[in-house]
Amino acid sequence: MPSLPHLQRPRRQRCRSAATLTLLALVATGRAADWQMGLDTRLVTSDAGRSFMDGGLGTTRFDRNDSGVQLGRARLALSAPLGELWSVHLDASVWDDKDRSPVGVTEAYLQFRPYPRAGYRLRVKAGAFYAPISLENRAAGWESPYTLSYSAINTWLAVEVRTIGLEAQLDWLGTRTGHDFDLGLTAGAFRWNEGAGVVLASNGFMLHDRQTPVFARVGPPGGAEPFQQFDRRTGVYAGVEGRYLDRVVLRVLRYDNRADPTQIDTVSGAIAWATRFNSAGLRVESSTGWTGILQWLDGETIIAPPGVQLVWPFRAQFALLSKRFGRQTLSARYDRFKVDSSVDGSYQSGHAWTAAWLFDADAHWRVALEWLRVRSNSYYRAELGGPPVATETQLQLAVRYAFGSGVR
Amino acid sequence: MRPPARLSGTACAARRAAGALALLAALGRAGPVLAATLVIHVQTPDGHALSGAVVTARPLDGQGKRPAPAHAVMDQVNRAFAPDLLVVPVGSTVAFPNSDSVSHQIYSFSAAKRFQLPLYHGKPYPPVQFDQTGVITLGCNIHDEMLAYLLVTDAPYFGRTDAQGAWSADVLRGRYQVAIWHPRLRESAADLERELTVGDADRADLTLHLLKSLQPAPIADRPHSWDY
Repeated sequence: MPSLPHLQRPRRQRCRSAATLTLLALVATGRAADWQMGLDTRLVTSDAGRSFMDGGLGTTRFDRNDSGVQLGRARLALSAPLGELWSVHLDASVWDDKDRSPVGVTEAYLQFRPYPRAGYRLRVKAGAFYAPISLENRAAGWESPYTLSYSAINTWLAVEVRTIGLEAQLDWLGTRTGHDFDLGLTAGAFRWNEGAGVVLASNGFMLHDRQTPVFARVGPPGGAEPFQQFDRRTGVYAGVEGRYLDRVVLRVLRYDNRADPTQIDTVSGAIAWATRFNSAGLRVESSTGWTGILQWLDGETIIAPPGVQLVWPFRAQFALLSKRFGRQTLSARYDRFKVDSSVDGSYQSGHAWTAAWLFDADAHWRVALEWLRVRSNSYYRAELGGPPVATETQLQLAVRYAFGSGVR
Repeated sequence: MRPPARLSGTACAARRAAGALALLAALGRAGPVLAATLVIHVQTPDGHALSGAVVTARPLDGQGKRPAPAHAVMDQVNRAFAPDLLVVPVGSTVAFPNSDSVSHQIYSFSAAKRFQLPLYHGKPYPPVQFDQTGVITLGCNIHDEMLAYLLVTDAPYFGRTDAQGAWSADVLRGRYQVAIWHPRLRESAADLERELTVGDADRADLTLHLLKSLQPAPIADRPHSWDY
């Protein structure tokens, strides 16, 4: 297979102006802003193949050359009210020195929160943010409170899928009106996600916690750029969420970036990736500290440059079981994933086991230990002359310190 | 002029005492309105004591008076209402100070009192008055997991069951309508109302059994920073 035509020059202006606008808004309301900073450092040992951030096909964040002390994430989050019913939110992070800019914005949005009326609650977001898919990434900064590395599904979302647009969510608050259930409907419309799918088609699924900042690049210069817009089409998603008290959450969502796969950006040569998927997830929690999560993803991504149409169907699932013992959390997760190709048949397939221990010493300090083993079969590895099957193991010890107006 | 004032006070107290004695004598002749102890036990369907249930006893024969309005406080501490349930007589006022470092935005869309308190810290707003009976569910528009209840009652006798599932009050003799309520009740509170006569005995007992088990209690130790 030819190398994928996803080269494009940086769209720095757009990124900068979005960040500047957000910062200006925050400064204007700085008086009432809530802020949080965190520094997460890692001691890593890994035997994985070259990391995706270095242009390799490794399925973990850190590869065999990264063993030692690494930066997990340095994070700054700001939230500020804008008048009575609006607020602005910014989440900026430093992950490593492999991006164009040392600091990247993973989420930046305005939120409109009218008061709930007659048992209904409306929320509207505008900006760049995660669609409500993951049931695992529920902690601040879209992190998982169960493991350091996200599941294959949510790693893919972290790398390539972001709403840069509008989202409305309407909830019926049944539990506030004497019922056992809440129901929610979500609809989103977005642009700048025509690159969603390029990393899946060029690397396959991975398991890590490196979120791609908005308008940033994945990997070394020349790497994938998921957040692009040149076919003037608006992508959409719609989802339903049901909750049973505070115990069970069921989410179903359909995403379609409605990209025109025949479109090629004449300036950069980038191709529009038409990506659509269905996702479903179930999270069950008990009063005794148990959490179980199941998530499922099934979709396809398509490009159709002149004379050819290439389709990569993909699907992934995971099951996570976690138990909290006071300030400690023990979690185990099993992931399964597969990317096919209309040309080559099976493109990537594999499974992974993750085991993690997290200890929240206090509101500021967290220590975590995670063992991750991924076994995968990759067509691309064979194409590059290596064995197609690899078993990669990564062990991380993480120490995180967080502080801010809301941390105590 | 202090001695005369004291004298006057003493005389006044003596008059009040005499009046009270006369009233007691009159009551003694009337018979049925002397005080007795009303004890209500609340049990779950499987027979366990239910603590924290709200009990109200409303006189059916005109004995007893409406309770006087009170001034209560429901604070916000560590992103939770404290307490998360208050029972107040109708006409009472409740203050909602915010002791957290983060802002809260309190609202109710319950029929008995719709109100909202725009984003605030500290105590910027006057207490809210509750003039209608009923259950009022309170939330914070910023922190969706925050939840509290106010029960506004016109019953002269009310309270919550103790760890043994019991509540008691000294009441005037007569007929009462006893009602119970709990935030996690799965059945209509009206189905749990009972009539009871407090007769000649010094004590009247009533045990109320829920027909359906309560909703499970909210998960207590979930960090506030997580998605609700």
